[in-house]
Amino acid sequence: MVEYRFVYAGKTYRVNVEAATGSWLISIDDGEPLEVKLISSSPYCLSFSMGGRPITAYALQGDGRRYISIDGESFSFELEKSRARRAPGVAAQGGGNVVSSPMPGFLVKVLVSGGDKVEVGQTLAIVEAMKMENELKSPIKGIVKRVKFEEGNQVDALQPIVELEAV
Amino acid sequence: MIRKLLIANRGEIAVRIIRACRELGIQMVGVYSTIDKSSLWVRLADESVCIGEPPPGESYLNMDRIIETTQKVGADAIHPGYGFLAENPDFAQRCEEAGITFVGPTSKALRLVGDKVAARQTMQRAGISIIPGMTVVGKKAEDFRQAIAKLGYPVLVKASLGGGGKGMRIVRDEKELDMAVAAGRREAKFAFGDESVYLEKYIEESHHVEFQVLADEFGRVVHLFERECSIQRRYQKVVEETPSPALTDELRREMGEVAKLAIKSAGYTNAGTVEFLLDQEDNFFFLEINARIQVEHPITELTTGIDLVRQQLLIASGERLTLSQEGISPRGHAIETRIYAEDPTSDFLPSPGKIRWLKEPQGPGIRVDSGVYSGYEVTPHYDPILAKLIAWGKTREIARRRIIQALKGYVILGITTSIGFLIDVLEHSQFVAGKTHTNFISKNMKGWRPNDQALTEALIAAAIVSSEAPAATKVLAAQATSPWQELGKWEMGSGGI
Repeated sequence: MVEYRFVYAGKTYRVNVEAATGSWLISIDDGEPLEVKLISSSPYCLSFSMGGRPITAYALQGDGRRYISIDGESFSFELEKSRARRAPGVAAQGGGNVVSSPMPGFLVKVLVSGGDKVEVGQTLAIVEAMKMENELKSPIKGIVKRVKFEEGNQVDALQPIVELEAV
Repeated sequence: MIRKLLIANRGEIAVRIIRACRELGIQMVGVYSTIDKSSLWVRLADESVCIGEPPPGESYLNMDRIIETTQKVGADAIHPGYGFLAENPDFAQRCEEAGITFVGPTSKALRLVGDKVAARQTMQRAGISIIPGMTVVGKKAEDFRQAIAKLGYPVLVKASLGGGGKGMRIVRDEKELDMAVAAGRREAKFAFGDESVYLEKYIEESHHVEFQVLADEFGRVVHLFERECSIQRRYQKVVEETPSPALTDELRREMGEVAKLAIKSAGYTNAGTVEFLLDQEDNFFFLEINARIQVEHPITELTTGIDLVRQQLLIASGERLTLSQEGISPRGHAIETRIYAEDPTSDFLPSPGKIRWLKEPQGPGIRVDSGVYSGYEVTPHYDPILAKLIAWGKTREIARRRIIQALKGYVILGITTSIGFLIDVLEHSQFVAGKTHTNFISKNMKGWRPNDQALTEALIAAAIVSSEAPAATKVLAAQATSPWQELGKWEMGSGGI
């Protein structure tokens, strides 16, 4: 039995794969195992049946991710361990002390600096990508500890931009 | 006839113009910023020239560079595509002064209609109804407050130049106003190099209906019927179709005539689009003239059989329109969906990145206008449009089913796109019923997620490709005869890149 942990839209899914004769038994989280049979595979394309129903998926893996497309619906799953390794700062995002950019782009405006007092919902900085602006707002009432970038800098998705301290 | 054309644009529209040039036997030159070096149009054009750094102001908006390049390569015309310099009268004027044919209207007409505020004034004088709002650019905070005192909320902040929803912001109350105006100005400045904005009354649940018009330099003006473009997110169109399910034949005739009047009043030539808002009581208001080839032009091409980019090039070459209004009779129904690099599960945030693998759909009545390929890196510098998928069918329902089928066969691995979301828009009962209005997405698609079944299947597929699947591995190893397959079973396209 092998367990994979895939992260999608901020949620972790545990997928258990057990090899049986000519098929797999695959369960998601604590759900019932489903019998999955491989029909064919070629580069990028994978056909399998699930409960007798044939499914064609387009798939590839790389950079700790699995890219899957089925019937036009596409998913990018991140392996949980690589996520933890790659972006340790992200854990704090939910905790409210670090504000990160939700997308790769350019920091077009920094509205606060170290020592500033900020309110919940206050706009701290503006990131722009593909001509769309995204306001980074403070999740807490607190003091700005540090702004890690300057206006004009290019930033990555989930990269911490502003560090805050709760008061 | 134009001999050699410089295409001052990028992405799918540059590819589209290259195709039209090839058909007419016109030589063409592509331009690109340093980051676009290995783009599709650069590969396809007869020749390509690097015109600067990625920020638009240094490349695709850099008039000096573009004019200079046109002269250097010996081109006699420039096609500006859409966005960037397409509706910039200063640029058209620079072309005129340099003796370069600008594929579009004259700088004079452009100045009039490309500037939305000036266009509103002109149309009002011609007796065409315009959306209530400001007819001058807002300078001070006081200007906006005065306008709102008359209009009442909600209002739209709009950029006076350009289009595509850039610089647009809806304002529902007083406290949002200053921030919205400031953001609108910044976006407008970035996209069009001009920060002028004004306010217009925001009409809820309206239809956005536009008429395609062609006008030659000898006074002949024809319209090529309408496009319904109500399905929008962030005031940018997502799904377009023709004919509009909202129009009666009588309304269609009336609006077509007003569209031609608008074009004539502005002294406009070449291809243009007259946009109207149609409210819930079937009142229509002039919105603006889009003085360019539109992103959604292919649906008109599919129903009328008229190649609009070809017509643009012919008109710019000084040819007479050979089309007559009576001779234009649209056939069937066409739908276009825009394929954007964006994440519909998180408020359509841009999702630049590498397209690791791409498979474009095929089938009867299917057309793909694309600017990307497998291995292409989508940059955060420009608009998120990757491609357009267009379907034609004898009826709206056939076209709808065709485009859904095609979307289901559209594979883009590596970046997040709007494809799954588009399928659900097209399958929505309100869309099926033709109830498409500008609040469709916020009203019907709020909190959209891929369905659970799709997620389950995808998780299983992810587990299979992650597993040491002996059967699959063996099959592939046995087939591994080409150097590509030897790269590895599921690591293809991700390995050495």
